[in-house]
Order: sequence, then C-alpha cells, then structure tokens
Amino acid sequence: MQIYLPIAEMPVDPLVIMFMGGAVGFLSGMFGVGGGFLMTPLLIFYGIPPAVAVGTEAAQIVASSVSGALAHLKRKTVDFQMGGFLVAGGAAGSLVGIMIFRHLREIGQVEILISLSYVVFLSVIGSLMLAESARSILRAPGEKPKRRKRRSVAWMAALPGAMRFRRSQLYISPIPPIALGFMVGVLAAIMGVGGGFIMVPAMLYILNMPTNVVVGTSLFQIIFVTAITTVLHAAANQTVDILLALLLLTGGVIGAQIGARVGVRLKAEQLRALLALIVLAVCARLVIGLVAPPDSPFMLEIAP
Amino acid sequence: MNRFLRRGVLTAFVTVIWALTAASGYAEDLIEDAASAIAIALTDEEIAIDTGFTGARLTLFGAVTGVEDPEALDIISIIRGPSTTFRLRQFEQRNLIWIPGEARTIDHAPGLFITSATRAIGDIAPLPDQAALNLTPDHLEITVDADTAEAQADILHGDAETSPTNLYRNAFLTEVEELGLYQSFVGDVSFKKGALFTINIELPATTPVGQYEVAVFLYRDGINLGMDTAKISVNKVGLERRIFELAHERPITYGLLCVAMSLFAGWIASVAFRK
Repeated sequence: MQIYLPIAEMPVDPLVIMFMGGAVGFLSGMFGVGGGFLMTPLLIFYGIPPAVAVGTEAAQIVASSVSGALAHLKRKTVDFQMGGFLVAGGAAGSLVGIMIFRHLREIGQVEILISLSYVVFLSVIGSLMLAESARSILRAPGEKPKRRKRRSVAWMAALPGAMRFRRSQLYISPIPPIALGFMVGVLAAIMGVGGGFIMVPAMLYILNMPTNVVVGTSLFQIIFVTAITTVLHAAANQTVDILLALLLLTGGVIGAQIGARVGVRLKAEQLRALLALIVLAVCARLVIGLVAPPDSPFMLEIAP
Repeated sequence: MNRFLRRGVLTAFVTVIWALTAASGYAEDLIEDAASAIAIALTDEEIAIDTGFTGARLTLFGAVTGVEDPEALDIISIIRGPSTTFRLRQFEQRNLIWIPGEARTIDHAPGLFITSATRAIGDIAPLPDQAALNLTPDHLEITVDADTAEAQADILHGDAETSPTNLYRNAFLTEVEELGLYQSFVGDVSFKKGALFTINIELPATTPVGQYEVAVFLYRDGINLGMDTAKISVNKVGLERRIFELAHERPITYGLLCVAMSLFAGWIASVAFRK
C-alpha cells in the first residue's frame, strides 16, 4: 500500500514510515532522548526531501515530548522561570534559523547545510556517548561514579540583570539561559531536532541547575520551541507535511511506550554503547553522501 | 559524454533545418492530405491525485478514416505537461565535499513529455517535421538562463557545440528522463479492427499538476496525413487538495493545526498508556 504525501508530493509506504517512527520512538523511550537527531536523517535516506524532513520532524517532536512534559508538570519538576527565558531565547533562535534555512533553500544549498550540521553533531555526540559507556562498562564493579558537585557560578551572577531562580536554587543573570535557548532554537530550525542532547548537558554543567529539574525544564522548552519552529517552517517554507507527521508520531508514540518498558529491564551501559554505534553509523552514512561523487553530476529541481 | 556529444550535433543540425523551414510556414503546410483523418478520445478528462496516487494509466482511443491499409500507418502520440521552470545545478567538489553550484534556469520546458509511437520517431517522421512539431525532447524549445550576469555571458558566448547552453540542455534532458518525467515508448500502439487503435500511457507518481495537451500524429511513408489533439488536466483532489491549499494559502493556520494535532496525539498517547 502507498500513501501520497500532500506536501512532500511523493508516494510513501505508510507501514515503513510508521515502522521507522516506531523504531526511533523505541530508542527514545529506552534512552529518554528525543530521537529527532535520528529521525530526520532516516527520513532523508528514505527519500523525503530534506527540507520537508526537517519541517515535519519539528511537528513530531512536539507530540513525542507531550507525555514526558505532562509527567514532569505533575511531579512539579519544571523551573518555569528558567524555562521562560529558555523559550524566549529559543523563539528568537528559531526565527533566525528559519531565515538562514529559507535563504539557503533559495540558493539550493540547504541540503548541504543539513547534512553538515548532522555530521558535526552526530560525530561529537556519538563519540562522547561511546566513550562514556566504555568508561562505565570498564569501571570495576561496586565502584560508584563520582558525584557531581555544583560549582559556584560567579561569572553568570556578574552579568547584568542577575536574579534569583528559586526552583533551581541559582542566582544568575538571565543572559546565559537566553543564549543557550537561542542556540538550541537555531539548531531546532535547521536540523529538525528538539535539542535535548545539548540542552540537558548545558543545563547541568554550564548553568549548574540541580539534576531533578533539568529534564522537566528541558522538555518544557522543547515543546514550546518545536511548536514555534513548526509554525515558522509552515509559514516560511511550506515544508511541514501533516500526513507524514501523523504517520511518524503514530509509530513513534507506540514505540516510545514499548521502549520505556523494555529499557528498565536491560543493562543501561551496553544499550548506551549500542545507541552510540547507531548514531555513528548514521553519521558515517551522511559523510559518505557528502564525500562520494554524486550519482548524477547535476541536480534538478522544480522552481517554486 | 558520447551521448551528450551526439545529441549536441543533432540539435545543431536540426536547428539549422528548422530555421530554414519554419520561416516559410512549413509547419502549416505539413498536413495537406485532407482525405485521410485521425480522431482521438481519452478515457479520462481529469486525472485525480488523491491519497492513494502512485501514478496513473491513461488510455487513448483513436480512429483513422479514409485509409485502406491501416497496417502501413504510423502513429505518434505525445502527452505534454504544463510549462514548468526548472533549476539545474552542477555539483562541484569543494574541500572534499560535493556541493551544488550556481543554478541555471530552464524555462518553458514541459513538466512532462511522454511519447508513444508505432516505431522509433526518427524512422516515422522526417527531421523537419520532428523539429517543427516538437516531436522529440531534442526538439523542444527550451531556454537556459543563468542567475548572474557572468554566467549569462558564458551561456551566450560559448561556441555552438560545446557551449554551456548545450551542456545544460543535455544535462536537463538526461535528468528529466531519469526522473521519469520524459519518456518515449515504441510499439505501445495497438490497432484493433483495422482503423481503430488504442495507446496506453503510464503517468509517473511525480506527474505535475496542471493542464496537459495530448497530440496524435498520423504518418505513412514519412508523410504526415493528419493530427488530432485532446486536453486533460491533472489535479489534486479531496484531502490532498485541501491540505495542499491550506498549507500554501493560509500557512500560519496550517502550522497551528499541525501543532494542535501533535499536542493532541501526544496527550492521547499519554492517557492511553497510563499505567
């Protein structure tokens, strides 16, 4: 069976798309990652135009972040004040990202930008994850990992407008969270990702937020920023395919639930090593696509 | 490379003949034998792109009158999609990676061009006819333009055979063939009961939306005996049409709708899977 996608303007096999959504959802449920950074390249490999893959994936991330965000709201593990600044920065970043995306699309270079961004981020994240899991697998049994100490954040308090963030027990200027949100917003718009993979480590190690509010606040930011990104992509590029998003999120939400249940029963270190290898494999495939001589020396597109 | 060269030589040759003949109104004089005629009809006047669209099969019925020996006849049918602007870029290797270079604009090209004929078109119609009636992709009047003045000068001043115009023109024809937008079939015309014939045309899944022209030419021994034309339109219908129109005419509403759908689906999932 085939379904014709109204915006991508091509027929796809809905079962394959749902299965892809399910597989990425399974991984994201198991590891608690968003999965956008795997879904967008997979869609491109399947043959979806890269611009449509990015725009549509933003919509899917909104859906896949809802249940996590609701759970954190219920547990009151969201710092709304911090989240507000992150969203403000994210909205501005998303707007800038969309403008870059639109311009590069007009001059025919957006596919290269998407591929290059992915190669950079996937190679860094994949290597870090692989190193991290290798360390924990090799660590002697019984030995506990070192506990993180929250260092002082004097330089962030010295920036203008410093204020108290009650929930995060911090006294810092809102400029660092706005800047972080901005950076993640640009990435969301260009790559079709939520950006949790950058947001979470940055909140922990740069902003020095307490662990218990990091994930909830990050999900809060991701929902708003990907929602804004979806609307902006729809408005500026007309590259959000609602039918494709529906297929992906149907597979995705089911996969995520199964993944979350399976994940608790398996050994985390080995699984993380496996995810790292998957990430690096996707990255390698993208590198080949960039470096290998193209099948045809020309690229043809229909002018809008 | 060989194919490009051959096509280039052929194009140049034909262009000269075309220039000589077209000027004297050759095209109008082609169809002179009023005694025999051809008439066609299509199974559909509209092709609908709906949610299940994976391409379409179009059947063309035709009848020939005033001819005693239908076996000796040749028929060429051409389906021509709406005039489309394409952008063509040549990949360039820069710092290890291949990136698409500056765009050339291909204008006035049919968005789809599928021919079906009893034999190879080159064997049926003489070269002047092929050129005057645009019977093959090689004879389409396509223009190649560049976005920058520098590249435009390059196009205008290159020498005839190896000029960038020919390079891009030929590359364009190769690409559209690969996409299945330009195709030529031989032997797909079947005669039934003497002077009645049918032609089956397969339209690809990438068929562009718009008005199409179907033209059928009747030949015997290289002489054009008649022609007939028909029109057909390809449209998105139903859900496909509504989504496409909303996304392009009210993009912000559409974007908000997408977000609402995602939020709702995410909420449904979290309720459904609550332990």
